[in-house]
Amino acid sequence: MGEIIEFTVNGLKRRIEVEPNELLINVIRGKLGLTGTKYGCGIGECGSCTVLIDGEPALSCLTLAIEVDGREIVTIEGIAENELNHIQEAFLDQGAVQCGFCTPGMIIMAKYLLNKKRNPTEKEIKEHIKGNLCRCTGYINIIKAIKEAAEKMQNSNVKAISKEL
Amino acid sequence: MYINRVNTKILPVEFKYFAPKTVSEAASILNRYGEEVRILAGGTDLLVKVKQRLIEPKYILNVKGIEELRFIEDRSGEIGVGAATKLSELVGSEIIKEKLPVLHEAAEAVGSVQIRNMGTIGGNLCNASPASDLAPPLLVLNTSVKAYSSSGERVIPLEKFFLGPGETVLKPDELLVEIKIPCPPEGTGMSFLKVARTSMDLAKANVAVAIKLDGNTVKLCRIAMGSVAPTPIRLFQTEKILLGSEFTDGKIERAVQTASEEIKPITDIRSTAEYRREVSKVLVRRALKKAYERVKEGEING
Amino acid sequence: MAKKVFSVIGKRTWRKDGVAKVTGKIKFTHDISLPNMLYGRVLKSPYPHARVRSIDVSEAEKIGAICLTFKETPKVKYNERLVSVPEATYKDRTVLTDKPLYVGEPVAAVAAETEEKAQRALELIKVEYETLEPLMDPEEAMKPGKPLLHESVVVADRVVKVENNVACKLEISEGNIEKGFGEADVVVEREYKTNRRYHLQLETKTVICKPEIDGGVTVWCTTQSIHNTRILLHQIFGIPLSKINVKKAALGGSFGSSIQTNTIVPICVALALKARRPVKLVYSREEDMHDHCCYQVILRLKLGAKRNGLLTAGEMHVIVDIGGHQIQAYPLLGCMAGWWVSLYKIPNLKYKGIAVYTNKVPSCAMRGFGNPQVTWAVETLMDELAEKISMDPLEFKLKNYVGLGDIFWGQGPTVKSVITSCGVEEILRKGAEMVGWNKRGEPREKRGRVRRGIGMARGFHTSGAGGPLAGQTVDYSGATVKVNEDGTIDYLTALMDCGQGDYDTHAKIIAEELGVPLRNINVVLTDTRSTVYDVCTHASRATYVGGAAALKAAREVKGKLLEYASRVLDVNPNALKIKPDEETGQGVIYIEGVPGKSLTIGELASLARHKNWGTFAATVSLRQVKCPPHFTGYFVEVEVDTETGVVKPLRIVAGADIGTVINPGLAEGQMHGGFAMGLSMALHEDTPYNPESGDLTNKGFITDYKVPTAADMVDVEDFKVFFVDTHEPTGPFGAKGIGEGATNPVAAAVVNAIYNAIGVRFYELPITPEKIVKALREKEGK
Repeated sequence: MGEIIEFTVNGLKRRIEVEPNELLINVIRGKLGLTGTKYGCGIGECGSCTVLIDGEPALSCLTLAIEVDGREIVTIEGIAENELNHIQEAFLDQGAVQCGFCTPGMIIMAKYLLNKKRNPTEKEIKEHIKGNLCRCTGYINIIKAIKEAAEKMQNSNVKAISKEL
Repeated sequence: MYINRVNTKILPVEFKYFAPKTVSEAASILNRYGEEVRILAGGTDLLVKVKQRLIEPKYILNVKGIEELRFIEDRSGEIGVGAATKLSELVGSEIIKEKLPVLHEAAEAVGSVQIRNMGTIGGNLCNASPASDLAPPLLVLNTSVKAYSSSGERVIPLEKFFLGPGETVLKPDELLVEIKIPCPPEGTGMSFLKVARTSMDLAKANVAVAIKLDGNTVKLCRIAMGSVAPTPIRLFQTEKILLGSEFTDGKIERAVQTASEEIKPITDIRSTAEYRREVSKVLVRRALKKAYERVKEGEING
Repeated sequence: MAKKVFSVIGKRTWRKDGVAKVTGKIKFTHDISLPNMLYGRVLKSPYPHARVRSIDVSEAEKIGAICLTFKETPKVKYNERLVSVPEATYKDRTVLTDKPLYVGEPVAAVAAETEEKAQRALELIKVEYETLEPLMDPEEAMKPGKPLLHESVVVADRVVKVENNVACKLEISEGNIEKGFGEADVVVEREYKTNRRYHLQLETKTVICKPEIDGGVTVWCTTQSIHNTRILLHQIFGIPLSKINVKKAALGGSFGSSIQTNTIVPICVALALKARRPVKLVYSREEDMHDHCCYQVILRLKLGAKRNGLLTAGEMHVIVDIGGHQIQAYPLLGCMAGWWVSLYKIPNLKYKGIAVYTNKVPSCAMRGFGNPQVTWAVETLMDELAEKISMDPLEFKLKNYVGLGDIFWGQGPTVKSVITSCGVEEILRKGAEMVGWNKRGEPREKRGRVRRGIGMARGFHTSGAGGPLAGQTVDYSGATVKVNEDGTIDYLTALMDCGQGDYDTHAKIIAEELGVPLRNINVVLTDTRSTVYDVCTHASRATYVGGAAALKAAREVKGKLLEYASRVLDVNPNALKIKPDEETGQGVIYIEGVPGKSLTIGELASLARHKNWGTFAATVSLRQVKCPPHFTGYFVEVEVDTETGVVKPLRIVAGADIGTVINPGLAEGQMHGGFAMGLSMALHEDTPYNPESGDLTNKGFITDYKVPTAADMVDVEDFKVFFVDTHEPTGPFGAKGIGEGATNPVAAAVVNAIYNAIGVRFYELPITPEKIVKALREKEGK
């Protein structure tokens, strides 16, 4: 027997019927058609399925859809308010994208980190993406990109403040 | 036909789902369905096992929504932690960082940011993995846990909590509700160390140490290890070597030797019994020295 | 040669598919769904070696599943890798089998309305197996009297009997090794065993098949070659090629795992044809790990050298444990010989390669196609030899390496050409200086619990598989360049980009040649119907061969543009040039020194329509008659904890000669990624088997297939990459490949660094802390 759940995905309210054994990843990808969230291992080792639930990163392959009733979800498709955010731009600037399969999870983690901390150390960056496997880049350009994004965000904050003044 | 039953893309098992809001509701569900219920307190272990068909629960009881199970309380002399407190909350807690830094270190060593944001302290303990990173520090802190059922509650010393891989003393109708951690006496130095295959892995071996000295005489000594026996264990024999004696290199080496004899490591996919025995010596030695340094730092700073 | 100033080549730009990738909008095969689609699942053998006695799908059919067994699928024997000519392609498998040869081999398949229902159906199928003796060790499997995994295989149209489970073999000899070793002052012989790695490409194997009303099929799948997929489906199902369309989607990494058409592709096609509905089949990670792995080799290597530092002779004997089927074992044996003889000049040599069937997951190419394995052995043995003749290994290697003007075996003994660009010396000299090679110290000087060591290894890989003679490897590419009526360009290629950025490379080559802004080049997501043949994205060929095809097409289009522009502008076409113009956002055709006489490509293309001149377009097919090696060198500093055996990389200096660098950011990324993969080969990866069950010990779960995470890598500033200034005269704008050279010498460099730190050599990969601690204890004990 399915149950009706209501939750927000990328700012849009959704009301859908789910079975207790349906996984969040399959609801997001299948029922909502948001295929940016990826299946990589299904057991929490690769981080490709990472989404934000109430602002905190979670593995959608190990989350029951029924658990997110009443909660707020952000996927890669909802990460930028406009076209691209600083993180996405920095990933492109730094050649941090190769096959792109890990990219959504990486960007979600970068977003979470930079929301929490404006100027993370390299160690903190690594700690935040160590649950996200990448087989192409050796991580170096991804770390560079997150550093660049942090700098850009700080500069744009400075600009925003100086505009106000 | 195991290979055809596993499917990590979906949960290939049907079950009924409960998400109670209170402990007493949870307890009555447990009371009614007993062994057929599995408690979801994170999902990073339970749902993996369901996908792997290691367990096929008829009922899943999600305790993550029970607010009364999510707290970290400083009760002067004891820290109380609600069983559904997330590992990320442990890592982020100022109380834990200040009063139980060793637990902070160990919680940080678990999995990834995502895993810690999903997993809970109660889930970690009830999963009863011999490789739990939380168990050794909690063991050296003389932790006890509180179980609740419709017929009442009981407090169990953590030392007596684990029975074997995946097995605890909890009865089918019992719910782990609280972790009670006595604050170590002033001046105690503690450390946690872990060896694993990569930076994101279960331990091949881990260790936690708590020592307190009077001058150079060891007044308190507790050592616990993980992944070297069917359950996380206290190394009582090893502790005895040091307790009451001078903290010297000679004593440390005797303790290290005893530790390697006291543990019961096996060969599995992550490592070999031989290596575990060797590296346990290294870990115990380093952890003792690190704890000692912290005692000394504390003396200077204090 | 005068240094050319480029407008887009060598510039750092956003990759063309980048915005779609960082927004999650790009579609991988995983992400494609079709209306009315069914979900497929594969029933896999739980035994490593068995015969199916009976199979009953009635219960599964009762719940509405479409079921498929070996009884209904075509019996055509096939080899899924169509890169070699038929005489070098050993066919030994069918769509489904009644004699599974490894745990995980597909025996039956189902399709149902949902994944959950397909899973239920799968569990309702009843199979009775007769288990047979599993052969898990290649040397054991070769012994006379052992059961044969395959009685025979099909080569071209001949049925060839299999003896002693030897899938194929190859022997090569040059000169006189007895004489050569006789001349040597020092001879060293070692046996090496590599790990059985798994690609762990992030997108697991996936396929969607839509049956068409005309009896044909449309297919999307994880593949490195859409055309070879099409040809294979034609071979198996007999559907005319014109009725099979294989469409591209983004590919989530591959590293060789989809050079061949994936096992599940023909299964999915058979399911869809039976169901008369589209079927999607996505392998779970654990199924994927039961599908393919890297070649595991036992390699005996013997080298002889004189005290003056010259090699005199070499002998290599390779046993490859290929698993249950051969995907490209015969070409591999040739290539491994080629990699060996192309590292150093060995005047007298003998090579023997044997590929052996075992009851394990079939092996296929993995980034380097045997080269990382060979280079690990050769580059570490060269260090040992250098030590014995008291020579700096770097000087020893520089004295013997195969370089400019030498013969290069780009794809085994049948694909040879002369090397026309080489930056080996510069890589090694510059890298040595950057890393502080001369200050690395000797192992015996190192003390303490934690010891540091620096290791170096050099390597190369081919760029493509072309040559002056046809050889045994198919290697050509194709391209279509067409000018749209507004001056933008559509580029169509069948070549797959696995993520490395080939489309950007090609787009830059076309933009450079046509003189148009890079953004005007549109890389079309093509299919087999809209493109001419490209063999496959493998052998680091996408830039050198695919890029050359793009250049040829662009050149033809440019000729046409200039010809027609010359009519409009009323000048000789040879006087015309094209350059990108920011103001109009167009390529502008102009005459140098004559202002006013110009028009944009858009204006010309539009005019061509109005005047009915036709479309400016060209389609070409191109073979390169060479496959120049790109060269790399890695200097790696590691720290070894002698008590725990844990090895930590500290500093990397990586140099490469890839000719002209077209995409600097992505080229550096290849070196970073290549390092991570090689480091992991040296220290972590393996898929051992449980001797009782014959299954993978980790059962396919990556919980127990560890690869480095970001936290296991060096810091950004400790990873230095440099490209030496070379120009490959036969490459598009002087470019060569990079993808595989980027990883080939890494494991050897790490192993040499470990030796430099602790004075112990290891001959079996991966070098785990367990092995290090054991070896150090044994050393102390002595």
